[in-house]
Amino acid sequence: MGAILERELLSLFRTRRAFAIQAGVAVACLILVALRWPQGAQVDLAGMRSREVFILFGYALLSAVVLLVPSFPASSIVRERQQRTLVLLLHSPLSSSAVYFGKLAATLGFVVVLIFLTVPAAAACHAMGGISLTGQLLPLYAVMLVLAVQLGALGLWVSSHARTPDSAMRITYGAVLVLVLFTMIPHFFLQGTQSSAATGAFWLRFVSPIPAVMELLGHRDIGQRTAGGAEYPVATYLVSAVLMTVVLAVLTTRRLSFRMFDAPRSQGLVTDQRSLLQRVFRRFAFLVDPQRRKSEIGPWTNPVMIKEFRSRQFGRLHWLLRLVSACAVISLALTWATTLGSADWGVETIGGIIVVMQMALIVLITPGLAAGLISGELESGGWKLLRMTPMSAGVILRGKLLSVSWTMLLILLATLPGYLVMVWINPLVSEQVRQVVISLVLTAVFSIVLSTTVSSFFRRTSAATVASYVVLLVICAGTLLFWLGRDAPFGHATVEGALKINPLAAALSVIRTPGFAIYRLIPANWWILGTLTVLLLLLLSLRIRILMAPD
Amino acid sequence: MTTTSDRVVVIEHLTKRFGEFTAVEDLSLTVHRGQILGFIGPNGAGKTTTISVLVGLARPTSGSASIAGADCSRETHRIKQLVGYMPDVFGSYDNMRVREYLDFFGAAYGIARTERRKRIQEVLEITNAEWMQDRFVESLSHGMKQRIGIARTLLHDPEVVILDEPANGLDPSARIEMREILLRLAENGKTLIVTSHILPELARICNQVAIITHGRLRAAGTLEEIMARVSQERTIEIQLSSGAPLEEAVRLVTDFSGNPDAVHPSEAESMVRLRTNRSEEDLGSLLKTLVSGGVPVTQFREVAADLEDAFLSVTATPVSD
Repeated sequence: MGAILERELLSLFRTRRAFAIQAGVAVACLILVALRWPQGAQVDLAGMRSREVFILFGYALLSAVVLLVPSFPASSIVRERQQRTLVLLLHSPLSSSAVYFGKLAATLGFVVVLIFLTVPAAAACHAMGGISLTGQLLPLYAVMLVLAVQLGALGLWVSSHARTPDSAMRITYGAVLVLVLFTMIPHFFLQGTQSSAATGAFWLRFVSPIPAVMELLGHRDIGQRTAGGAEYPVATYLVSAVLMTVVLAVLTTRRLSFRMFDAPRSQGLVTDQRSLLQRVFRRFAFLVDPQRRKSEIGPWTNPVMIKEFRSRQFGRLHWLLRLVSACAVISLALTWATTLGSADWGVETIGGIIVVMQMALIVLITPGLAAGLISGELESGGWKLLRMTPMSAGVILRGKLLSVSWTMLLILLATLPGYLVMVWINPLVSEQVRQVVISLVLTAVFSIVLSTTVSSFFRRTSAATVASYVVLLVICAGTLLFWLGRDAPFGHATVEGALKINPLAAALSVIRTPGFAIYRLIPANWWILGTLTVLLLLLLSLRIRILMAPD
Repeated sequence: MTTTSDRVVVIEHLTKRFGEFTAVEDLSLTVHRGQILGFIGPNGAGKTTTISVLVGLARPTSGSASIAGADCSRETHRIKQLVGYMPDVFGSYDNMRVREYLDFFGAAYGIARTERRKRIQEVLEITNAEWMQDRFVESLSHGMKQRIGIARTLLHDPEVVILDEPANGLDPSARIEMREILLRLAENGKTLIVTSHILPELARICNQVAIITHGRLRAAGTLEEIMARVSQERTIEIQLSSGAPLEEAVRLVTDFSGNPDAVHPSEAESMVRLRTNRSEEDLGSLLKTLVSGGVPVTQFREVAADLEDAFLSVTATPVSD
């Protein structure tokens, strides 16, 4: 285990990414304390200012761990597998558990270094008074360490199953989003009702570290609209996290064996060669059978777009159709439940659920689809071949952007039936729905252009995917930290200013979702997104021209 | 006899610098229609940089390069139609079958649908890869990928085919297949530029060779011309019967040569090797001397110099400023 740990730590700390993360955390902590340090010779005996700094510090630490830690374990095993060094490790006298725990310990080691970088800021909070060392500060660090181990275990488990580092990144960040954010959503909408689903939703949210962190920061429960809450959210979270870590550790350790490599090469069987019965079954199962023999690319069609549709690993058409069907069914079912009065939700709540669902899909899917558009070509050597074809930079860029745009359009259209039913129930919300749809379309376009631009700056898809997720999550989830601190330390104007960049908050405010209805974010948000999209598009065009130009 | 119109690839005083580093310096080279040029040199010699300039992926710092009259840096669109280029990295796409992969590149080259279908079939036949058409590209072995790479290169029926290390990493049978494919292409009138480290392979198929080291062209011409230029001496192997007096044989051969450094005895092989530029008659007298001196000679033969010798001879000579 020692050898693995040493090697992992060495290779981890040598990366520019690790240096950037450490420098970023150190600078962020410095700014945080400098901004909130008492000015003048006044002493705040109540410790209000200190608590405000501590709240910010706690959320920033949580965001840093959630956004930055998963990227390292997620690529760890799959990259070794690709580089064939995993075979060497498994062939050595090291046991699979030694390999696994070496990698997990390296992740933890990195987090410990990050935490040490935050100690001066934490000490400053404590020195200002009002913060309990044993009741708040140390438990917060304990939660962060457990969360880091949990995310490390999750990343390693995904990494042991993934085929490529970028798919590992996508799945890991998707799982992290579900774990940290989505587990709390059912409770937000079901609280106050008496049903087994509501009880399940109540306990489900403690899988997320957010309620525990909020408890430690003195913010109580997230999304809680009524009184009440868990007695011990910190302890509940720690127990669930440890349990999850143990299960994932067992699963991953068992996976780390030569069986990982014991698979034959695909013989390329096509559906056309199968029996009639199998062909009929596959037609129903897949709708668009991925294994059928495809016809030649037609005239007037952008070849790059078709190539992207056919070669992408993530978001292939048969899966997208299933996703779209699921979205359509869920959005219709939600609206139908309200119509029949079987759920005691207003149109605003239903709209809120649909908006969150769509935004989550956009944020989760877009980087997965677009972050590899350019970096994937650079990584595989395909870019050189594309440059050798007579296709212009514009044709290549159009084909790539269109391939993602059509997919996103399909996903957005899937939830429209829900909105239509909403308008049919209450025609007064038609203007709100129109504004939400505009917000969603703008968000989708912005996400596509942002991820593709990020992609053009990287030579590895996994790095581009992480960078895209981090930027999008900072915009869509990071700015929500201001909303969480809407009573203190942030005033209404500050929160509104921060949320103006957030398309999710803008859509939620339009649909009058509780908690967001008081902010006026439209049309400022549209202008911001529109301007950023145009600027990014210009930057992207420039990058493509540079990449296409002779060396 | 070749004419100016036969000159397909013309490189004149090509220099390419990357900042302070000079990758290619004052390189001039001509390849005629239907020829196979073996472009050889050690790693980092400047082969790939030269090729990048030829295919329009890099601009020369000075000098010029043209293919079939099209300037490689100014008429890149024409170059793309004239040249089929297979880089040393395959450039595969996931989840794509071989036929889809070729179809994409055919469409990228603007080949019409019906024509493309026909052309894919043809290039798969040329490269003996028809049976792979439903296989996923990423699941192919290295040798199979190289064949598909050549098929992709030929899709738009280019006049010149440039292959960067096509035999790299191939097993012997795959190398033989590759050699046959390249010879077939030359028979069909294609002009080929092939870089390789596997010199015996090149020696078998190339009718022109260019040796480059440190960015400079060190020798160019037919294999025979290069041999004549770089190797004025011949190697003679004198095989003795086992247990023969090797010292006596070495003494007699050294007396004949007059240069002890040119005589290389091998006790393990019972053999004496001699580097010499003496005539056939002189060598005949050496054999006579050995036999009459009681040395039991079982074989007396000249070792044919090959491309490897020429390459080593050229690369061993320091570059003059």
